Amino acid sequence: MSTTDTPLRIDGLSKHFGGLTAVDDLSFEVRDGEILGFIGPNGAGKSTVFNCIMSVYGASEGAVYLNDEDVTGWDTHEIVNHGLARVSQESNPIDTMSVEDNIRLFTLPNSPFAFTGGADHEEIVSIADRVELADKLGEMPGSMPHADVRRLEIAKAIATDPDILLLDEPFAGLNQAEIRDLSEEIREFREEGMTLVVVDHNMKGLMALVDRVIVLNEGRKIADGTPEEIADDEQVQRAYLAGAV
Amino acid sequence: MSESVTAVEEESSENVLGRVFNAEANRYQMGFLAVAFLGLITVPMWNPGWTYVFAFANIWVIFAVSWDIISGHTNYISFGHSFLSGLAAYTTALLTFNVDPNMSIYITFPVSVAVAVVAGLAFALPSLRLSGPYFSLLTFVSVLIATKAVYIFSGYTNGEMGISTVSVLTFDNTEMFYLTLVPALLIAAILLYISRSNVGLVLKAIGQNERAVESAGLDTTRFKLWGFIYSAIPMGVGGALLAHFFGNVEPIAFLIVDRSIEMIAIAAVGGMGTILGPVGGAYLLIFLRDELFRAFLGPNARWVALWSVVLILLVTSPDGLFTRFWRLLDRLGGGGSE
Repeated sequence: MSTTDTPLRIDGLSKHFGGLTAVDDLSFEVRDGEILGFIGPNGAGKSTVFNCIMSVYGASEGAVYLNDEDVTGWDTHEIVNHGLARVSQESNPIDTMSVEDNIRLFTLPNSPFAFTGGADHEEIVSIADRVELADKLGEMPGSMPHADVRRLEIAKAIATDPDILLLDEPFAGLNQAEIRDLSEEIREFREEGMTLVVVDHNMKGLMALVDRVIVLNEGRKIADGTPEEIADDEQVQRAYLAGAV
Repeated sequence: MSESVTAVEEESSENVLGRVFNAEANRYQMGFLAVAFLGLITVPMWNPGWTYVFAFANIWVIFAVSWDIISGHTNYISFGHSFLSGLAAYTTALLTFNVDPNMSIYITFPVSVAVAVVAGLAFALPSLRLSGPYFSLLTFVSVLIATKAVYIFSGYTNGEMGISTVSVLTFDNTEMFYLTLVPALLIAAILLYISRSNVGLVLKAIGQNERAVESAGLDTTRFKLWGFIYSAIPMGVGGALLAHFFGNVEPIAFLIVDRSIEMIAIAAVGGMGTILGPVGGAYLLIFLRDELFRAFLGPNARWVALWSVVLILLVTSPDGLFTRFWRLLDRLGGGGSE
């Protein structure tokens, strides 16, 4: 649980790629303990925002505050160790390592002199159990079905024991039953005290899950409100499929 | 109290090894390691004629495992590790040749290792920006520059002839064998421990996907820097040891890029990223080159034979002979892992 009401705050964030403005003076905050939906059509700049937050790219302007501390320009590993974890859209497990070692990697102490430490087998089992992977610890990621690889990505993120978890398109490629299971797991994370931000380009699937929605279009925030408010918002409907939300 | 003492006494050597090296070896694998170890430490007894070659191979064990801890794990493939060992050897030689011929080994040795560490950091810094072939090329070029520098500054280095003011550790082959065996096994054991530890896991993960390691909250820059230091320290020890092995430090045996390529070949033939593989690879290739092929072949033909063997092994066992053999023993023991 965070010590502040706004564990993550974005202030005037812009990102330019050459002449293209991917994110334009974006400000928003994430409230402690909420599940925030972060939606927008493809190309709206959602992933760019997250890449800036995680310092995959440097922000062109603006600042990122994590637990009220300015973390703009910090290294990715410093941001992770400050309580923010991200499950990115692309899975990137270490294919030559078992599921267990993949998770263990995310629990290791950040020191080249720490030859021991990190989660033991029981702790890894309990992490994997939260995403129903406990019986697959010995498998290699390359031989697992897509949904299990996505579960592994989430297990890795929660293994860093984050206050805030960013989930980038977590439902992509999952079937209805898998989406239901994952939604349930996300709610459980929140009950355990985590704050969550769920990114999706599809509003429909998110509405039942999230407390609040921010809508991004062409790098700008065009709406911010409860799912019901957002569903009725004209600007959002225009941005999205000409009203067919 | 007495119960716990008994429990400790009852703990088999396998468990101790397993705990320290994080390895799950079956009895065939343990048996193989035990036989190889006993065979190795008794070489001067069962074949005194091989003692010198094996003493030389001991030093190459140091080079191969040192290369392996960084390049075999992180996939930052160094084509220039003889730069590190060569610089250490030349430091020892230059100090005795240009400063004081009687300078104590207790001074020259640590200074040489320190120089190798500085050289290792010189490799590490570009690795923070360059990877793949660009990094490899940079390491390669540094050897080329260093080799030419030896000739340019031949007033200090004595050029091609080399510097022969370095004291030879001993002229007794058996003594030389053990004086090189002990540091070789010690270094191999330490690097095996690191390889099987958290740090080894991180280095291997860096070799697969550096950005994913960052998102695990791990400072890849710091791990890489220390990986190079963990490699450079023993490279310095090996280089200085080799100087005291021959007593003469010249570019061919110590520095030229062929030596760097041999380190890679040894590690690859044994099994990259396994530490134990390069240990076996060093004894195998040095024995073939300097004992077996030397007995039948001329000075050029034995190199052709050696590199042909390396080629064949790389094609037939790309994961390394040791890795292959280890898996075979694993299957014999009924294990299904990997």
